[in-house]
Amino acid sequence: MAENTVFVRNYAGAEGLFPVNEREVWRYSGFRGTQDQVAGELKKVFGQVQEELKDAFSYKVCFRRMPVVWEEEIARLPFGSDSRDLRRCLEGSSEIVIFAATVGLAVDRYIAKYQKFQPTKALLMQAYGAERVERLCELFCGEIRREAAEEGLKCTPRYSPGFGDLPLTVQRDVFRLLECDRKIGISLNESLLMTPSKSVTAVFGLGKDVKRGQL
Amino acid sequence: MNVLEYLRDNLVYLDGGMGTLLQKRGLLPGELPERWNVSHPEVIVEIQKAYFDAGSNIVCTNTFGANSLKFERDELETLIRAAVENARRAKEASAGCQEKFIALDIGPMGKLLKPYGDFDFEDAVKVYAETVRIGASCGVDLIFIETMNDSYDTKAALLAAKENCDLPVFVSNAYGEDGKLMTGADPAAMTAMLEGMHADAIGANCSLGPKQLSAVVEEYLKYASVPVLLKPNAGLPRSEDGRTVYDVLPEEFSEDMEEYIRRGVRIAGGCCGTTPEYIAALTERTRGLQPREVTGKNFTVISSYTHAVMFQDSPVLIGERINPTGKKRFKEALRNRDIGYILGEGLTQQEKGAHVLDVNVGLPEIDEAEMLETVCFELQAIIDLPLQIDTTNAAAMERALRRYNGKAMINSVNGKEEVMREIFPLVQKYGGLVVCLTLDEEGIPDSAERRVEIARKIIDTAAEYGIEKKDLIFDTLAMTVSADNRAALATLQALRAIRHDLGCHTSLGVSNVSFGLPSREIITASFFTLALENGLSAAIMNPNSAEMMKSYYAFRALHGLDENCADYIENIERYAAAPGTGVQPGGGFGQSGTGGSQPGAVGGQPGTGAGQPVGGSGQTGKGSGPGGGQSGPEGSQPGDGSGQIGTGNGQTAVQSGLQRAIVKGLREQAAELTAQLLETEAPLDIVNTQIIPALDIVGQGFEKKTMYLPQLLMSAEASQCAFEQIKKRMSRDSSEQVSRGKFVIATVQGDIHDIGKNIVKLILENYGFDVCDLGRDVPPEKVLEAVTEQQAPLVGLSALMTTTVPAMEATIKLLKEKAPWAKTVVGGAVLTQEYADKIGADYYAKDAMATVRYAMRVTGGEEET
Repeated sequence: MAENTVFVRNYAGAEGLFPVNEREVWRYSGFRGTQDQVAGELKKVFGQVQEELKDAFSYKVCFRRMPVVWEEEIARLPFGSDSRDLRRCLEGSSEIVIFAATVGLAVDRYIAKYQKFQPTKALLMQAYGAERVERLCELFCGEIRREAAEEGLKCTPRYSPGFGDLPLTVQRDVFRLLECDRKIGISLNESLLMTPSKSVTAVFGLGKDVKRGQL
Repeated sequence: MNVLEYLRDNLVYLDGGMGTLLQKRGLLPGELPERWNVSHPEVIVEIQKAYFDAGSNIVCTNTFGANSLKFERDELETLIRAAVENARRAKEASAGCQEKFIALDIGPMGKLLKPYGDFDFEDAVKVYAETVRIGASCGVDLIFIETMNDSYDTKAALLAAKENCDLPVFVSNAYGEDGKLMTGADPAAMTAMLEGMHADAIGANCSLGPKQLSAVVEEYLKYASVPVLLKPNAGLPRSEDGRTVYDVLPEEFSEDMEEYIRRGVRIAGGCCGTTPEYIAALTERTRGLQPREVTGKNFTVISSYTHAVMFQDSPVLIGERINPTGKKRFKEALRNRDIGYILGEGLTQQEKGAHVLDVNVGLPEIDEAEMLETVCFELQAIIDLPLQIDTTNAAAMERALRRYNGKAMINSVNGKEEVMREIFPLVQKYGGLVVCLTLDEEGIPDSAERRVEIARKIIDTAAEYGIEKKDLIFDTLAMTVSADNRAALATLQALRAIRHDLGCHTSLGVSNVSFGLPSREIITASFFTLALENGLSAAIMNPNSAEMMKSYYAFRALHGLDENCADYIENIERYAAAPGTGVQPGGGFGQSGTGGSQPGAVGGQPGTGAGQPVGGSGQTGKGSGPGGGQSGPEGSQPGDGSGQIGTGNGQTAVQSGLQRAIVKGLREQAAELTAQLLETEAPLDIVNTQIIPALDIVGQGFEKKTMYLPQLLMSAEASQCAFEQIKKRMSRDSSEQVSRGKFVIATVQGDIHDIGKNIVKLILENYGFDVCDLGRDVPPEKVLEAVTEQQAPLVGLSALMTTTVPAMEATIKLLKEKAPWAKTVVGGAVLTQEYADKIGADYYAKDAMATVRYAMRVTGGEEET
């Protein structure tokens, strides 16, 4: 695969491929009760949230595939980090896929709007957006897994900057490599956080004999 | 010959891709291509020469990312100088005999601006300014701003170019498949803003292939009065046998481009994936085409950061409610910097159907310039309507216009020489549609003829500044008909003459006309209809007035502006049912679209099974109740299931209707019940006997983990609605105060996360604290200033990032030194008790309730239970 190109996948109108997992939404919202407790007003508000955000998501992923050279135990990765946790995750890979996924800025605008006037709605929108981008990642990783399988390759689980001992500063490298701002409109701020806020960056390995399979 | 002169009679060819070619020559992933200007000048020259050889008139310097965010000042200058030199060598080396120009290429700096990002607009202007200054000093022929995917960022770059050189500026945006920029603007909105600021050519590049940009190009050709440029990708990249290939080949590319040139595109080239081969195919195929003439379009238009609003036959409604005149509550909000209240006024008007919002925040005792800038900025963070900036203070006008994301309406100039000389230069610089009042040094003329005369004078003066008639909108001044029974006639007559004889659009503040009369709404609404019939294009009005909205929909239906009367049918019911002005119940914004209250909700429907304690009856701790209170359908009757509420705490067993509404998070009901209670009870009594106890029930449920954050927030919102009623009453009586004490709150410098802070603020307000919210990314000095000014006993600081904890520490240190009386409470995702101790905070609050408990202790309120 061409290692020198950042590819973009656009999932406009593909919501059907990743239906909402309500349980996850409630979990992200901080609601720890049973599902039956999600009743009355709260349920109504979530209904409104879904209705309002119906056309708000713009699902996009950009990614690039790059080789990994293993020297002894050390993987030479295009990041300024020698994270052991990441290395362990990638064990056995001959290539990596670095990707960034986002559901777009519109949901942030809604959140900003409601934060001041209906914080419950803002909170549920936060949760809903988080759930959406997770589903998007799953969908994308599933696609790559199937494509890789055709080449006889398996995928490792994905690993994100900020997990384990992989510092958040790696975000700078990820952004440099993926040109996320140009490709899918994610930008990185001084605190290394992403806008749109409902975005994920991650890396996973591909190899004939990876130690850990994707879940 | 300069590029604009050449453009007048010729098609202009741009170059093609650079990045993709550099990658083929070995540019590494993540390597900055601008460095190749110095490390591999021969490669750059070779590529650029190939473009000139292929027939490009304009070749862009290899400076897409050359800005001070990516490079130190010295390296930046070196790289830009080398880049211009490379382009010049390519130009000299090429044997092509076409006219050749060198453009300083400027791409987006890669930072998202506030309010969504953390980068300040003025800082962005500075970043671009530096690149422009260096490039211009190297002698380029024009500035080429390209691939911009955000309108605000585009404005910053264009402003920087205009302020730092006299070169022609071309501006090109990157649109997605949806025909919008990444942050939402469509081509009509971009055209309005960019032409207002005098870009010399505008258009689209990158992101898509030629075919997918069809709709975008159409829009540009329809709206733009300047030449349109197009620089698409060679389609989309895909991987083939380990190589990247683009799916549109030179032949097809040039075919598509020919079609666009025939439709009117005047400046053509390619972006990612295109090579000299593509440009050669393009120039060969289209060289003989006669360029389509660029025609001035006669659109009167304004824009926000997402869309344009056109002044055509269908009337434009400008909401007048953001204005302190005659509004006690609004003035109070301005004095207390209660921006939230002002934003609420904006949102309500948007919901009621306003197309534009007038923004007037003038009050003698406040810094109007600062306030206007802030309010416009905050409005643009959450409302996508264009704004009409309304002030007589020219300095305030400039600050607001500079920051405005789009092309604003400017309210106003008049026939006075002095005013025009003050405001027109601002219009010339920032763009805008100017409201022109037909009065002058001698006041408001009685006769229509004199008003038209003044309009002519304004048109002539504007022309001196290059401001066209289409960017002026005339207000012939509606006077009070009860004072002069011919007043309305003169206004209408002048209106008709200006609209039909002078061919200008018109606007009126219609509400004045009925002043001093009973049943004002019918007079105002009738006058509105008459004015529309006489050629009124826009009205500054109250969208909360059902009569006005009814007239609006009726007029459109009667004037053939509403196909199948669809809008009328869809909307009329909500106004027809509404009892005149002020339909919003309490909470203002947020009653989900349809407006009006839902009568049935009051008083409690006999909900069977209401209040059944779900979640395991008989469990200990459930007795705290809120979990149970959540479960039933809204409007459960008091006494039934809710009898269990609070029993576990030995608290009052029976909740009042208001308490229950708050516990359950019923906003409308809470507002209405409060309004009812206010008939018989004192505001403070309601707070103490109803609202606070209800909040306590929820707060305790939250602390015991029988209720969760979403439920806590729902209740907080409901009580907020109750409070809004109480505040309304209190500002009317302006007697007692509810405040438990001042509480200054901020997210510390460098941190832009304010969700947690906003929740804490809300809960604190619920408990009666007077919260001064400084927002996010607040420098220590600003916190100190607020604490000192208000003599606040409490300061809450929030931080989400480990990287911003030092800023928190610095703020605390400054406060300890200069405002030792103030207790500091800290909170946020990264904080722990240990951290809090280390940085010298007085208290670490793990959540909103903990903050409330502490604040009550400090201010000597009741002890926690």
